[in-house]
Amino acid sequence: MSLIAENKSAVTQTLLDQLQNNASKVAFMPDSEIVSAIRYLEDKGIPNNKHEDYKYCNIEGILRKEFKSVEQSFNALIPEDIAPLKLEEAINLVVVNGNYVSALSEKMIVRGLTVKAFNELSALEKNLLSSQAKSESDALIALNSAFCGNGLYLEIENANVIPMPIHIIYVNSGNGNCVVNTRSFIRIGPNAEATLVESFYNIGNSKVFSNFVSEKLVEENAKLTCFTFQNEGSLSYSVHTNQAKIFKYGNYSNMTATLSGELVRNNHNVVLAEPNCEAHLNGLFITQGTQQVDNHTLIDHQMPNCESNELYKGIAKDKSSGTFNGKIFVRKDAQKTNAYQSSKNILMSDDATINTKPQLEIYADDVKCSHGTSTGKIDTEALFYLKARGIGEDTARKLLLQAFAQELIDKIEIPTLQERVLHLFEESL
Amino acid sequence: MISIKNLHASIGDKEILRGINLEVKAGEVHAIMGPNGSGKSTLSSVLAGREDYEITEGEVIFNGKNLLDMAAEDRAREGLFLAFQYPIEIPGVSNINFLRTALNEIRAYHGQEEMSAKDFLALVKDKSKLVELDSKLASRSVNEGFSGGEKKRNEIFQMAMLNPKLAILDETDSGLDIDALRIVASGVNKLKSKDNATILITHYQRLLDYIVPDFVHILYKGRIVKSGGKELALELEAKGYDEIKKEFELAD
Amino acid sequence: MANEILEEHIQNEYKWGFTTDIDADEAPKGLNEDIIRFISAKKSEPDWLLEFRLKAFRNWKNMVEPQWAHVSYKKPDFQDIIYYSAPKPKKELASLDEVDPEILKTFEKLGISLEEQKRLSGVQSNIAVDVVFDSVSVKTTFKETLAEKGIIFCSFSEAVQEHPELVKKYMGMAVPPTDNFYAALNSAVFTDGSFCYIPKGVRSPMELSTYFRINASGTGQFERTLIIADEDAYVSYLEGCTAPQRDENQLHAAVVEIITHKNAEVKYSTVQNWYPGDKDGKGGIFNFVTKRGICLEDNSKISWTQVETGSAVTWKYPSVILKGNNSVGEFYSVAVTNNYQQADTGTKMIHIGKNTRSTIISKGISAGFSNNSYRGLVQIKKGASNARNFSQCDSLLMGDKCGAHTFPYIEIKDKSAVVEHEATTSKIGEDQLFYCKQRGIDNEKAIGLIVNGYCKEVLNKLPMEFAVEAQKLLAISLEGSVG
Repeated sequence: MSLIAENKSAVTQTLLDQLQNNASKVAFMPDSEIVSAIRYLEDKGIPNNKHEDYKYCNIEGILRKEFKSVEQSFNALIPEDIAPLKLEEAINLVVVNGNYVSALSEKMIVRGLTVKAFNELSALEKNLLSSQAKSESDALIALNSAFCGNGLYLEIENANVIPMPIHIIYVNSGNGNCVVNTRSFIRIGPNAEATLVESFYNIGNSKVFSNFVSEKLVEENAKLTCFTFQNEGSLSYSVHTNQAKIFKYGNYSNMTATLSGELVRNNHNVVLAEPNCEAHLNGLFITQGTQQVDNHTLIDHQMPNCESNELYKGIAKDKSSGTFNGKIFVRKDAQKTNAYQSSKNILMSDDATINTKPQLEIYADDVKCSHGTSTGKIDTEALFYLKARGIGEDTARKLLLQAFAQELIDKIEIPTLQERVLHLFEESL
Repeated sequence: MISIKNLHASIGDKEILRGINLEVKAGEVHAIMGPNGSGKSTLSSVLAGREDYEITEGEVIFNGKNLLDMAAEDRAREGLFLAFQYPIEIPGVSNINFLRTALNEIRAYHGQEEMSAKDFLALVKDKSKLVELDSKLASRSVNEGFSGGEKKRNEIFQMAMLNPKLAILDETDSGLDIDALRIVASGVNKLKSKDNATILITHYQRLLDYIVPDFVHILYKGRIVKSGGKELALELEAKGYDEIKKEFELAD
Repeated sequence: MANEILEEHIQNEYKWGFTTDIDADEAPKGLNEDIIRFISAKKSEPDWLLEFRLKAFRNWKNMVEPQWAHVSYKKPDFQDIIYYSAPKPKKELASLDEVDPEILKTFEKLGISLEEQKRLSGVQSNIAVDVVFDSVSVKTTFKETLAEKGIIFCSFSEAVQEHPELVKKYMGMAVPPTDNFYAALNSAVFTDGSFCYIPKGVRSPMELSTYFRINASGTGQFERTLIIADEDAYVSYLEGCTAPQRDENQLHAAVVEIITHKNAEVKYSTVQNWYPGDKDGKGGIFNFVTKRGICLEDNSKISWTQVETGSAVTWKYPSVILKGNNSVGEFYSVAVTNNYQQADTGTKMIHIGKNTRSTIISKGISAGFSNNSYRGLVQIKKGASNARNFSQCDSLLMGDKCGAHTFPYIEIKDKSAVVEHEATTSKIGEDQLFYCKQRGIDNEKAIGLIVNGYCKEVLNKLPMEFAVEAQKLLAISLEGSVG
């Protein structure tokens, strides 16, 4: 027992020491948060697969294996690196190695839109940071709070509707193994509306452990529609935490497409903090090789008359593994809750694994909650039908898998992004 | 049979029944007609004892007893039957078991012994003919997977089994095709006697071609605004509700 | 409205809460190797069994109580429990007439009259009963009738003496002595239980049944059941249990193992009605039970049906390891919690063989201040081609102070598997209640009807006599829970 404990803290301690040596002298989170972050890390350590929430995703093991020593030396990027990543119909903002780079971002004056780096924040704004994602709830949040770079703060002021999508490009580029802690804070003011695309890339030949945390506030009667595009490549190991809080009549939705990344862990936590708000979480992944994708969602219904919907689909090939772990939490006061969750998966190989754990934890009685999950192979009847019509096995299989994913791809309302996702998806089949 | 005096009922802050007066005697058939939202279904719900409504004023005497003081199940035991507009499905509970429980509860209330299984089954067989109900439906779960017409016929079948003094048929004609309507109406007609009474709640005159009422009342904005004989229904059919609305809009 | 009536109603008294005064032969409190040797010596056990116990105990000392269940309770003090309490035999029992009359009276109160069983002996439809009292088996009825078919149905201690080769071969096969904290504890200190062996090609002509009862105060109950169905054999096995009403929490940590050979089938039904504690959550049984079956060979089937209404805390996951090809595992469960009861129950279906099938139907009902969790694992191992699982977990909430939770784990490592899981949570329908009332059925009866309808898929799986008992129990457990 004691041996394991020592090992556990050893991995965490090595990482902490290295990060502390390389950290910039400026801290962006409130001091108290940094103190509790370090304390939490020293106490609990980075989670391994003995930790219930990380049962299928051994972060400590990855750090021990791939990031025993980190260089923390980064490449600066030039506009030519960024150009192909942009979306033509959007306002493109760029965050490189955890720092918001104004020089690479598009400047556009849009009424009601404020974009700042963390070091430009007023005291009031700075206090918002870490108000949603708390260090004591998760070690990866703590790690981010302690070491995050000069992240991006985005705010839509009251009653403004942003006419075009806002695209945040998070790109990492290390020179040797490195750990990047990227952070953003998104605030949609009352009655405001915005569409946000968040894309994730890794450029170069170095392994990156990318620990991303985003806090999102959707205030009264506001609407935030998010698309997350994960294509960090096989050298990337990432944990993405989205911590969202929705106020009354607010509407938050997210569609995450995971197309590459050796390890991708998504924590999507949504708090429905006031009555009559809604949240929609959707996700699509296709994994191959030895990839691991682990989607965790937690929808916390705190108040009455709220609605949540989740649809996650996954396809696991080769020796890859995919996990869906979703929890619907309905508190005592959250009467008249409607919550629906569905997870569907297809296994393409006998060496691939799908794990699902859909959970309901319910403390209010006047609710309608349900979840369904199914995992299976490609429908052999349908396959046969297509073949009988002269379609080759391979094409038929692709057609069916595409049909399986279509309802989620259709949700991506931005044409360039939809094409990008579809293209990569087809390539992976 | 039943005497409704100045009945007011509201849900939340909204007053829906605003002083209903109605007297129904044994042997009579009354039709209550009215446009959507006039309070027809509220009236049937209030009489049957649904607890969503607050009675703010008035009284209802049923067979000499204060109906509004009674629990819903006691009203049923006293002989008040509501044929629901939307009969609820109760998965896993067979129609037979459900009815047997109901019948024996009512018998117990009147100090009668439980009906033997044999007599009960004979009664089921007899009464199911009345509405041409497939005997298979009797053994299925209450209303589960029934078509709209089957649900309505099941309501009349239950009415036949429980033999109420006062039957309130809430929009029993809605969603029925002409054949089903004829079957339901003939069931109701056969159950009619000088000792019981029927209140038909309906939007259309159509049902009244089959079940001829002695009195017709028009309900509008929570009050009975006009009463008459069966010819009133025909008049209403000819003129439509708009006439009524125009006529009584000012009274509001 | 519902809440007011909820408050108004008085908790239904536990109807089986009497104790029986009989001479008991007890070990001193506490647990160490000497106690284990004492128990083993008391039962004149062979050396291998003592070794089995000691090995389990040595492992147990290094284990920790599981923390992952969605329950909270004061951890029992394992040194403050009497691990051996046997009714003192007055002399060798030759017939039922010689059973301690106090015990017989107890069983009469429980509604299982052995006298009657005896009079009716020979009637085909009857049930053979083994009664276990504070972990010690008292008397098995119909033993002779069964023996004619070659069926062995006796107390565990007797099996150890009479059929040591069978016990040695199968004990610990489904639940290894170090499987988990409570199974290890049981393996170290179990005092008795039931043993059942159905030989090749035999279908048991009657249902076999065990009634468990905890009587003595300060004791824990640690019985073991071992059921073996040889090739082409079939048995339906029933288990019932009750305990006296006491302020203290008593520990019940049983182990049940089932092994099926080729083409064999075992149907195991439980109506669990241990004392749940009073309406304020005082007292009640901690029911920490390990039940597992192995479909060892091809085409065999194990089916668990449980109706759980009792215990203060339940931690129980009857499972099936589907090792043989084409084997079938089933789990049908109704779990009711009221007042301050907590239940964390479900199943594990481990698919190893090809073409294996499993079905899980779980119906949870929570009322009062209780918490009711379904926790289940469906695992499709690599090479378990064409495995199928269907799971349905429904929860019904009565009142707004209780909780209903669903924690299914699904792990799939074979591409030909098809696994489906559905779950819903809802409250008892006001409209359904009103409909019943409009037909003259009062609230309590209406709830009984609706709940029994909701549980029908599970209750239908119980043998007739048990189903009737279970239905009544459901109604009683929920009395006064909804207005």
